[in-house]
Amino acid sequence: MQLCIFDLRRGQQEGQELDKILFFFPADLPFATQLSVIGLSEGLITFTRIFSPDAACEVIEAERHSHVFYEAESDIWMVMVVDKSKESKAACQVDALRKVLKEVHSLFVLFHGTMRSMLEKETSGGLIRSHLYPFITDYLSAYQKQSLLCNCCWDFLTGRKLQLPSFHDCLMERGTVQMLTVGREAAIEVQSLVKVLECSAGTTSCYSLVLFQDLLVSTTLSPDDTISLFTYAVLRLTPHALSSGATSWSYLQRTNAGSQVPALSTITNSGSVSDNIYRSRDASLDQENNCQVKRPLHHNRWFRGNDGFLASDIWGTDNGSQTSVTPIVYLQLTEERMYLCAYQHKSLTIILLVPVSSILNGEQGLSLVKQQVLENASLKMLMVEEKLSKGWGGENAYHVSGYRYLLVDDERVSRASPPAKVMTLAKESLLALSKLREEVNLEKKRAKCSNSEVNCDKELEICVRAKNGAWVIARTSRGKELYMVLEKASETLLYAADSVEKFSNRYCSGVFSLD
Amino acid sequence: MKERNTTSTLKRILVNCSSQAKEYGGCVAKKVPEVERDMCLKEFLALKNCMQNVCLTSVFCYIKNFSMSANASSSQLTVGLSGSGGLSHAYVQYPPLKCNLPGSRGLYYDDANKLLLSPTSDQVFSWKTVPFSPHVAATADYINEGPVLSIRYSLDAKSIAVHRSNQEIQFFQRETRETFTHMCKSESESILGFFWTDCPVCDLVVVKTSGLDLLTVSFTSKSVNLVETKKLSVNWYVYTHGSRLVLLASGMQCKTLTGFQLSSVGIVRLPRFEMVMAKSDANSKPVLAAEDVFIITVYGRIYCLQIDRVAMQLHSYRFYRDAVVQQGSLPMFSSKISVSVVDNVLLVHQVDARVSILYDIFEDSRAPISAPLPLLLRGLPQSHTGRPVNVGESLDRNSSNHELMFYGDDWTFLVPDLICDVASKSVWKIHLDLEVISSSSSEVPSNLEFLQRRKLEASKTKQLCLAITRAFILERRPVTMVAKAIDVLVSSYSHSVKTCSNLKETKVDEASASVGTNASNSSRSAKDESRVGVGDKSFNLSASDSDDQSREIDSRDLQKSGKENLLGAESSRGEVQSSSLHTQQLGLGNNQLNANNSERQDSQLTSPAISPDEMYSCVFVPVGEEIVGDPSYLVAIIVEFLRSTNSEKIKVRPNIYVFTIQLLVRYERFAELSLLIINKVLEPSKEVAMQLLESGHQNPQMRKLALDMLRQLSLHHDYVTLLVQDGCYLEALRYARKHKVTSVRPSLFLEAALASKDSQHLAAVLRFFSDFIAGFRNTPEYQDYFRILNEMNTGLAV
Repeated sequence: MQLCIFDLRRGQQEGQELDKILFFFPADLPFATQLSVIGLSEGLITFTRIFSPDAACEVIEAERHSHVFYEAESDIWMVMVVDKSKESKAACQVDALRKVLKEVHSLFVLFHGTMRSMLEKETSGGLIRSHLYPFITDYLSAYQKQSLLCNCCWDFLTGRKLQLPSFHDCLMERGTVQMLTVGREAAIEVQSLVKVLECSAGTTSCYSLVLFQDLLVSTTLSPDDTISLFTYAVLRLTPHALSSGATSWSYLQRTNAGSQVPALSTITNSGSVSDNIYRSRDASLDQENNCQVKRPLHHNRWFRGNDGFLASDIWGTDNGSQTSVTPIVYLQLTEERMYLCAYQHKSLTIILLVPVSSILNGEQGLSLVKQQVLENASLKMLMVEEKLSKGWGGENAYHVSGYRYLLVDDERVSRASPPAKVMTLAKESLLALSKLREEVNLEKKRAKCSNSEVNCDKELEICVRAKNGAWVIARTSRGKELYMVLEKASETLLYAADSVEKFSNRYCSGVFSLD
Repeated sequence: MKERNTTSTLKRILVNCSSQAKEYGGCVAKKVPEVERDMCLKEFLALKNCMQNVCLTSVFCYIKNFSMSANASSSQLTVGLSGSGGLSHAYVQYPPLKCNLPGSRGLYYDDANKLLLSPTSDQVFSWKTVPFSPHVAATADYINEGPVLSIRYSLDAKSIAVHRSNQEIQFFQRETRETFTHMCKSESESILGFFWTDCPVCDLVVVKTSGLDLLTVSFTSKSVNLVETKKLSVNWYVYTHGSRLVLLASGMQCKTLTGFQLSSVGIVRLPRFEMVMAKSDANSKPVLAAEDVFIITVYGRIYCLQIDRVAMQLHSYRFYRDAVVQQGSLPMFSSKISVSVVDNVLLVHQVDARVSILYDIFEDSRAPISAPLPLLLRGLPQSHTGRPVNVGESLDRNSSNHELMFYGDDWTFLVPDLICDVASKSVWKIHLDLEVISSSSSEVPSNLEFLQRRKLEASKTKQLCLAITRAFILERRPVTMVAKAIDVLVSSYSHSVKTCSNLKETKVDEASASVGTNASNSSRSAKDESRVGVGDKSFNLSASDSDDQSREIDSRDLQKSGKENLLGAESSRGEVQSSSLHTQQLGLGNNQLNANNSERQDSQLTSPAISPDEMYSCVFVPVGEEIVGDPSYLVAIIVEFLRSTNSEKIKVRPNIYVFTIQLLVRYERFAELSLLIINKVLEPSKEVAMQLLESGHQNPQMRKLALDMLRQLSLHHDYVTLLVQDGCYLEALRYARKHKVTSVRPSLFLEAALASKDSQHLAAVLRFFSDFIAGFRNTPEYQDYFRILNEMNTGLAV
């Protein structure tokens, strides 16, 4: 796998091509190879832009490789080159890979602001490079770990190999939030808590995110911010994420981290060996900024403080007091800078975003806000946690027996069968579904292009019988998508359609059962 | 100016009140090593009184020490001086009811019929005191000449009984003027008093020194028949009709009391109990007098208050069915104490100190609800107040009014809320000034709780509650505090819906039905009928206590179940006519199911409970207009309100939801809004969906939510129409076929299909309708579009 980020606006002159590269993984690749990858990508982008100026190329399928393109910010491209595995040609979905790129970018933006603004701040590019390297490496190692959880046959001792999204993951959707279904009463309690939180923080423009386990309960953020913050929370903040480092995973984690540090050092070292300009600039910057480069995705750096608030030493500690510095995140739409305060009580995680501008004396003012929140809302938080855990059905709460499904609403909210249940599916079914999803994505894009002025979403229904006799079904209706694998639906198409109908009526309030 | 006044006042105080000051100082000095609170209260009150009187003459005088403004009146001054602008938690309204008749031989109060009686030599004049009006005319009945110890009308008001002497009670029938006499049998016993009762076994109870006689009175045989005797040695007795409870005192100290409750469900004998009396020294045996015991009915519970002169405390006891429980004591600041109950608030008049202290003994708290203040006289015509003098007769009697002493010796406090001034033969009714009481309280939730328990001036109280709530929100108090206040209002409303007023419930139901759920009309009316039936039953059970707040004390309910051991009382307003009154009210409610809204609202103001609808129109909307900027505070409060109504299971009309949506949309908080909709915090309804559609112009997500909501509500017509509007005519057709929606005009679909310029689609739609709607082929629409389709096809062919 190769992953690169480059800026088309940079390095336009002969001999300065290296300036384009903002990030390349693996870093120990010779620059000539790096440049050739980027050159090819750039060429294709320029070429396809002639025909489609708004949406340039998305993917190149070569015999052995797939190049997945993603234009993260205008003229800043992320390209992922994936080896096609020998056993199955259509092993990974291009769309899923693109979502990985999208996710890493949105997380980066969440903590560092846009790449463009960073480049404008420091035109030499050293700043952004020094931030991108640790960030993406941390992200990819996080990725490794996540895959470990999902895929038990993964050999974790070969820690440097990356497990990319494959057909195994076709019943999940990256870049969406998973919601907890709550009853009206609990929902009112949650809302009441959210309001109390925001009012007790003192300023009107606070935002909050409430999670229960790894599921979203409430948000007052815009959809995009919700997704990126939710992703981060699930990766690092939820009780699950906090404990995964501490308990049974600790051993693996340590080995991972151990393998990670040399990996990082080789990145810089190899860089310095390969090219003079690159090295001198980069290494010096690295030394200067070493302490300033924050690694929000660094493993096991969050812990639960005595007051219930989560703290992390990633951002260092305050000079005056020994409290750790509260991280600052950027909102996408308004580009407002917010303090991120996370509070945890049992399974309940509450993230409160307080505008930096509203707090005058930094950490001190923030601890006042925290105190106020505790005073006003701690009782309510206890109650909400109790109420939610009473209503929660456990890990397999959203399992529907007989069905393996994925439900996506508006490309923002998704719900799926629990991963443990998906693992029981045969490989053939998953491969078929993976192909089907590819097909549906294509169809969706086509529909979007052809009638962009009509806001009516494409309606689609595809039922496929896989080699092993399983039914693989996709339905889209008014922005909602349903993917389903029925292995025991047996004989007829009618029967399969009937099962979908039943599912739709019962769990989707009849969205997918129009006729 | 102000400065000078204050100094001169102080000087005057020092000159005028030197003796009182000395006394107080001396008292304190005596006890100095162990200084405690309320030490030397008597002396203090005397000094305070004196100081106040001095203060009164000065306009700017506020003695902050006394935690009250000093513009109060006092008996040393004539009433005229007290001014009508003064603040007090309780007042009497001028003019009083005048019972001044030539030849009157005293005033008697019949608390069962709420009549004020004044016998002359051969007549008895009666004034109704409920409803209280100073201009009520007296009615006269003829009785024989003779001594009168007491006089009471029978509960059906057909006959009069007059207590003539220790041995004799005389009966008169009002219509026929028939009369006969009941005499005591033996000489050894004497009649202490009597009262009429609605007890099923007897009409009249005579209290004698040897016990109770339960009698039936028959005018046809001109005799009374003894039904039952309760043998008991009685020194004196206390009875109030409101509680139907008679307390008989016996023993040397008269502190052993036996109680009987004679109510319409039968006779309950209470266990004998002893009153607590402190002794000044080991040998002294203070004797309890009848004047020292008061029976009061508050919130339908019966209490007895007993004066302990030695301990200077007012002990309270609560009566249960099989127990009498001492409840704690109230302080006494005066040797003469009297009590009144106004609107379930207990007023303890400290007659010598000339102040009244208010208690709300709903909970166990014995804290007064406001500072001690004297009663005020209001509405006295005075030239300087600028009020019109419209009471013609009062002018010439103003002089006599000026001699009316507040808290004077002539004052008799009648149960529950009247004051009779024997000297001037005038009767005053005590009113509470809820505005003053609530303004003196800083705890808004508890204040609202207090107000919600007030029933007498329901509409006024309600307005007051609304105003307080509005102000509370506008002051931007912490959400948790406002939530508490809202909880109080909502639970009070839920209570009022559950207990007394089934009118409201039907109204709520009506409201929710108009939302447009597709409940069929017939089933709804059936539901209404059954509810009225249920209401009827509950009225029968809950007796006459329309102002009875808590269910547990409901007497008949209790005695029916027999499980709980509380002794129920009938309300202070429990009257003979009450049951008929209720059936009337019920009938009214029945009719009003068909009547329009406005009429209903007038008749149902029996409690200050605030319905969700009124919360919306009188709190949220006005506040929403006044609050500027971010609405999240108001939304937070609405969410709290919804939480409260949800936990009380009260239905809320969609207008609140619509209002919330408008607030959120105005400030583009779509994330919150969609969460509220998805989780059904804002319950789905057609109104909500329409409001969402309106906001759909700004945010397509909202439009989607609205469509989903319409489909879930099975509002097929609207859903199909909107789908067509969105251009999804094929989907709309499929939906129409599935749900048999024929009400949407075919031309809408055809136009949409034509707009898509797809001849195949147009043909499909045309074909669909000719199959779906019988006779569609013959309509001009079909012809038109068929022609258009042909043109399109030929155009294509060319």
